[in-house]
Amino acid sequence: MSIQLVGMNHKTAPVAIRERLALSDEDAVALAGQLAGGPRLDEALVLSTCNRVEFLGNGEPDELRGAVLRHLLDRLDKEALAEDALYVYGERAAVRHVVRVASSLDSMVVGEPQILGQVRDAYRRATDAGTLGGPLGRLISQALRVARRVRNETGIGRTAVSVSSVAVELARKIFGELDGLSVLLIGAGDMAEAAARHLRGAGASHLYVANRTFSAAESLAASFAGRPVRFERLLELLQRVDIVLSSTGSPGFVLTRRTAEGVIASRRNRPIFLVDIAVPRDIDPDINAVDNMFVYDIDDLQQVAEANLKHRRREAERAEWIVEHEVEGILNRLRASRAAPAIVSLNQRLEDIRRGELERYGSKLRGLTAEQRAAVEALTRGMISKIAHHPIREAKRRASDPRSGFTFDDFRRLFGLD
Amino acid sequence: MDSHATVLLRAALVLYSLGLLDSLYSLVKQRRKLFKPALYAFALGATLHFLSLALSGRALGRFPVQTFQQLCSMASFFMTVVFLAVYARFKYQSLAVFAVPPVFLLALVGSLGGPAREVSRPVLQWWISIHATLFLLGYAALFLTCVAGVMYLIQEHELKSKRPNAFYYRLPPLSKLEDIGRVALGAAFVLVTLGLIAASIWAFAKWGASWLVDPTIALAFLTWGIAFVMVIGRMAAGWQGRKGAYFSIAGFACAALTWVVNSGAHTFMSQ
Repeated sequence: MSIQLVGMNHKTAPVAIRERLALSDEDAVALAGQLAGGPRLDEALVLSTCNRVEFLGNGEPDELRGAVLRHLLDRLDKEALAEDALYVYGERAAVRHVVRVASSLDSMVVGEPQILGQVRDAYRRATDAGTLGGPLGRLISQALRVARRVRNETGIGRTAVSVSSVAVELARKIFGELDGLSVLLIGAGDMAEAAARHLRGAGASHLYVANRTFSAAESLAASFAGRPVRFERLLELLQRVDIVLSSTGSPGFVLTRRTAEGVIASRRNRPIFLVDIAVPRDIDPDINAVDNMFVYDIDDLQQVAEANLKHRRREAERAEWIVEHEVEGILNRLRASRAAPAIVSLNQRLEDIRRGELERYGSKLRGLTAEQRAAVEALTRGMISKIAHHPIREAKRRASDPRSGFTFDDFRRLFGLD
Repeated sequence: MDSHATVLLRAALVLYSLGLLDSLYSLVKQRRKLFKPALYAFALGATLHFLSLALSGRALGRFPVQTFQQLCSMASFFMTVVFLAVYARFKYQSLAVFAVPPVFLLALVGSLGGPAREVSRPVLQWWISIHATLFLLGYAALFLTCVAGVMYLIQEHELKSKRPNAFYYRLPPLSKLEDIGRVALGAAFVLVTLGLIAASIWAFAKWGASWLVDPTIALAFLTWGIAFVMVIGRMAAGWQGRKGAYFSIAGFACAALTWVVNSGAHTFMSQ
């Protein structure tokens, strides 16, 4: 018995293949039920997200691979499935892979937070459906624990890597908490709207929308539960709001340095964060030199996003170190959990032999006194426990050393326990 | 300095340095949990430091700010106290990395002092103690304002340059650094004012107007003046951001100057 994994992800297979194999939550549970229903697999889990389809099983070696290939070939032509689209992992590699996936180290955007929830949901559904409940179930729950540790102890998920979330992160670096701050959205554009939504979600309480055509401002404001304002009132609003997102189609600057200096003076130096997402730009980049005014254009946001991504990669190296350390512990516990049933069955088998032999000699032993009978019982019990002692100790020792190649399957075969 | 006092001060120094190393490590690794031992080290260090000061005070029979070394030791103790108070309020571990090195250096200078000298004329001791405590606490608060100012300038530079480096990820938001600066400045102003009022009334009673010509007293008034200008600047003129940070640093530099000039007792006391 061992844990195995067969899967494909965004690195090994294009979306054209992945989308044909993606499964709904119900289908994933049903398929896991089919896989674990056979005699040679005890547990199974199917994890299907937009970036990966993974099949995990606990059972006879190579059993999972065959079953998964049969399933895949039902859905795909043989030609469509490139040779290296699938990866097949034995126990050690499978454990490592599952822990890395849950910790978001195998994700397209390293450190993205969704995968942890997806693994947790898949685990819950499979446990409820009864396709997990042994060593594989324990492995997944351990992988979730390590993933939480990685999130807590590294900065892997702490920095923003999309342009709109970078705007929120920068606002936090300037203002601290965003609760109660006001945002002004000038013009309309997908990215500015996304940033406004992000800021709203992060706590910004007032949102004003200004547009050269007031009706456009009104309809956009309605979708944000914001307030539409006339373009002529821009200057007045600039004195009040904390964050400005500008995305107009204007060919020249909407805000010049001279105007900005007047604005900051009338704000009594209260800081303002100006995000310019327009091309050509709306806000004079020179304004960034003015004290308490922070101007970021689209390239600047991109630059911060890239720096954050680099920061994440450095944190990911630390996360990998944690994972390597934890994987050893998980593998050791896995082996120990396998040792227990093998040892119980060895003891059971020796006890059966002892009783059988005593029964066989029953007629000859009939003449013994109660005292002598007790002595025979003690003698035979002592013999089997002394015989079993050394092999059990040695098997435990070897099984805990991965280099020995010894498993409790060998132990079972050696004593004919199956 | 009393030998027990010296041993305690050295133990405090070791704890400060261990705390500083741990703060650096936890900041680089960005793990808050690792900062806990540092905090315990600072608190225990401050306790031992206090005991050391109390012992030398008892040996001297007066507030132990006679020599430059004693003054350093006393100042660094108050700086630790103010740092711990500000940390308790704002909870930014990066503060330790900026605030503790000067504390450590001052305590180090303090630990190099010789044995305590007997002083012939102990005048109204409890009174001088109050004056010195208020002033030193005020200086310590000004020091924290300066630390917040330095941190502000670094973080502001990170944000203005648009190329986030290690500091960007590890320093508090600008608004929080402003808050720390504002709270510390307010406290400093109140403490320095009270210290100055107390000292003035007492000195007038003792010496009349002759103490006014003492240069360190003039500098002390200058420090108070700077603190006053800083408070007014922040409250009335809206000095925020870079300008506020520069003034915080300049204000503390001036206070530090007064302090260096004033090594030990004021000149008029020996008149």
